[in-house]
Amino acid sequence: MRMLAVFEKSERIRHIGHLDIQRSVQRGLRRSGLPVAYSNGFNPHILISFASALSTGASGKREIMDVTMAEPVTAETFVRAMNSAMPPALKVLEARALDDRHPAMMSLVRAARYDLAIDGDDAFQRIRDAIPAAMAKEDLPAMRKTKTTLKECNIRPLIHGIEAKDGHLLAVLTLNEKESCKPGMLLEALCREAGMEKVPRMTVVRLGLLGEDEQGRLVPLETV
Amino acid sequence: MNYLDQFERALEKVQKAPRYTGGEMNTEIKPWDSCPLHFGFCFPDTYEVGMSHLGLKILYGLINREDWSLCERFFMPWTDMISQMKENGIPLLSMESRRPLNEFDVVGFTLQYEMSYSNILAMLEMGGIPLENNERGEDDPIVVAGGPCAFNPEPLAPFIDAFMIGDGEDVMTELNQVILERKRKGMTRRECLLRLAALEGVYVPDLYDVAYNDDGTVKNVTPNCPEAPAVISKRIVPDLNQTYYPEEIPVPYTEVVFDRIMLEIMRGCTRGCRFCQAGMLYRPVRERSLEKLIELSEKLQKATGYEEISLSSLSSGDYSCLPELIRELMKRMKDKRVSISLPSLRIDSVLKESLEETQQVRKTSLTFAPEAGTQRMRDVINKGVTEQDLLEKVRDAFQGGWSSVKLYFMDGLPTETNEDLDGIGDLARKVVAEYFAVPKDRRAKGLRVTVSASTFVPKPFTPFQWDAQNTIPEIIEKQNYLKKVLNIKGVTFNWHEPYLSFLEACFARGDRRLGKVLRKAYEKGCILDGWNECFRFETWMEAFRDCGLDPAFYANRVRARDEILPWDHIDSGITKAFLWREKEKSNRAETTKDCRLGCNGCGLQKRKGVCSFANAGGV
Repeated sequence: MRMLAVFEKSERIRHIGHLDIQRSVQRGLRRSGLPVAYSNGFNPHILISFASALSTGASGKREIMDVTMAEPVTAETFVRAMNSAMPPALKVLEARALDDRHPAMMSLVRAARYDLAIDGDDAFQRIRDAIPAAMAKEDLPAMRKTKTTLKECNIRPLIHGIEAKDGHLLAVLTLNEKESCKPGMLLEALCREAGMEKVPRMTVVRLGLLGEDEQGRLVPLETV
Repeated sequence: MNYLDQFERALEKVQKAPRYTGGEMNTEIKPWDSCPLHFGFCFPDTYEVGMSHLGLKILYGLINREDWSLCERFFMPWTDMISQMKENGIPLLSMESRRPLNEFDVVGFTLQYEMSYSNILAMLEMGGIPLENNERGEDDPIVVAGGPCAFNPEPLAPFIDAFMIGDGEDVMTELNQVILERKRKGMTRRECLLRLAALEGVYVPDLYDVAYNDDGTVKNVTPNCPEAPAVISKRIVPDLNQTYYPEEIPVPYTEVVFDRIMLEIMRGCTRGCRFCQAGMLYRPVRERSLEKLIELSEKLQKATGYEEISLSSLSSGDYSCLPELIRELMKRMKDKRVSISLPSLRIDSVLKESLEETQQVRKTSLTFAPEAGTQRMRDVINKGVTEQDLLEKVRDAFQGGWSSVKLYFMDGLPTETNEDLDGIGDLARKVVAEYFAVPKDRRAKGLRVTVSASTFVPKPFTPFQWDAQNTIPEIIEKQNYLKKVLNIKGVTFNWHEPYLSFLEACFARGDRRLGKVLRKAYEKGCILDGWNECFRFETWMEAFRDCGLDPAFYANRVRARDEILPWDHIDSGITKAFLWREKEKSNRAETTKDCRLGCNGCGLQKRKGVCSFANAGGV
């Protein structure tokens, strides 16, 4: 069986990178005493996958992992055992048993919901005021950075919605195996739209990952 | 904006933020007001180095275990963070509750390495604590230090209020109790220091005056008050099974230098290698029992989830029940998928059997430390290892499927000649030949022999404490010679520039006047000297000149037998007579037997019941 677990990467450890989070969760699983399954081979590792890597610098309210168990356990047991084995900064919130044939969570992610805190009232207001015009456009250019390249792309189709309130932008942005709009790309595009020279500081919280229900509506990934 | 917000912003601008953010497993924050005594544990190097250090984990657990004391960690920030802190008025903050260093009652530094001394000054200053003990007021913390370098405390005497000499476990609690009493009863700083000086193994440098001869050598070190003992004896934990060992240790999120469970199987070493300060300072040998180690390993594995356990000691191969221990650990850890590694494997004590057992989990590279290239040189340093031993073990390893071997040597040893350096080349060549002697279909591919040579640094409390270190030009010449000798296919040669070793030699055997040099160098910008990219040798030399002191006086001078050494008032348990005897034997290339084969009369036989190999009659 597999266990889908929702966990929080708290603000305190937002600078920890994805690989380190992975290793820490694996050690947590080892501490928990839960019957997790290991890969075969010379260097056996725990069979675990994460729905989406969270960037260094961002915290996550509802991140998702998918663990293969060697023996069945209940969701309650899983959550209880994990929370006694994890540091407070990395908490398991809920879990759900999955059938082995359930598709990989990674393949089901469609979008993510973000809370982006913008530094400075003036900067926030200018960004907020630029949103309607930006959203009315068909083409909203932003720079996509990979390890080696810097490419211009259109992020407008990747923005599902933005709301601006009290210094925060609440945004739903496309995130799937093929393409994604990172919060930084959105901020940069909006700043350009607002005619701002300097991109303000922003704190990123990923509120949750979204998948699709049968009608094609975006719903929390853990319910898919 | 307050400094905590500034700190959050700084984190976004530095290279490795995780080394400053804390929140690791098993570092749960004790509420500040829940304990009257607050201990700031300072590791004067980066997080990655400090979190690999066993002593930190022992004392961290020990202090936090008491309901009246809490311990939080401080590390030396990297240069990018230091700039951010200076620009934005951020003090040095603890990893746990992010409080400035000067809010703690006790600030404790661990002294592992002389080249971390400038970091101590940097951490004190960033922590808002006056650098020198005579500048500190009633509200400032008591600054203490311990660890191997505390055995020659003199260069740090101006900056540290009290040194703990020897094993830290017992004295730590006693010291904290005195400081707690100070806090409760409102003792003055002076009263508190006098009380500390009365504890066994505690040295309060301010209570001693140092006089010098005209030639610059020490004339005497004398107590300036009746409370201070003339000689400070090191603390010895008599039984490791009775002493505290943590059952939960912090697990960093990021990879640190030693990212695994370190199981201290014994303390001390009976080999008596003459260059090895640890081998002298950590005497006598004390073993943890097999049962205790099994119990600890299971608890630690459960509490950390680590994938690897390493057996830690100066000479793990000498542990009396090593095969049983390894077999038992392997049996119990196999299902938990934990591998067992033996780091400081001595080549004469490796059991073929345990080699075979190790590979059942993973084949990492094997490390051997012959230390010197010829038998004569090995006899001089009393490294009781023969070429035959080494080659046999290497053969076993190659036949067992290893293809990567590391060999450690020293250059600049007393009486060393080019012939000894040639010996290093010969040994490397023979190791290569052992590999090719294994039939091709039975050996692992990709031979890698790494030869590392470090520059010898004479240390206090060793038989070489009277010897001169080779001068920098001499070392460079030897290294160049070695480069030629080790130009062998399949062999990589690693060496370090000698400048750092030269400075290390100055401070290792320095006197109290070097405190001025340290401060001067720090004020000129020297920090993180142990890191190549930060080390500024010229600036250090300037600091010596400004203070009117000659570094060669400390590094390159032969001391006379009757010279008062700056650390003579510290009693390591080893007598000066024994060390001198060892020095004379070394001059004759004469070896001294392992203490397990009979007492050599190092001095510890005089301390009742601490050494299991002691012969009270002595030698």
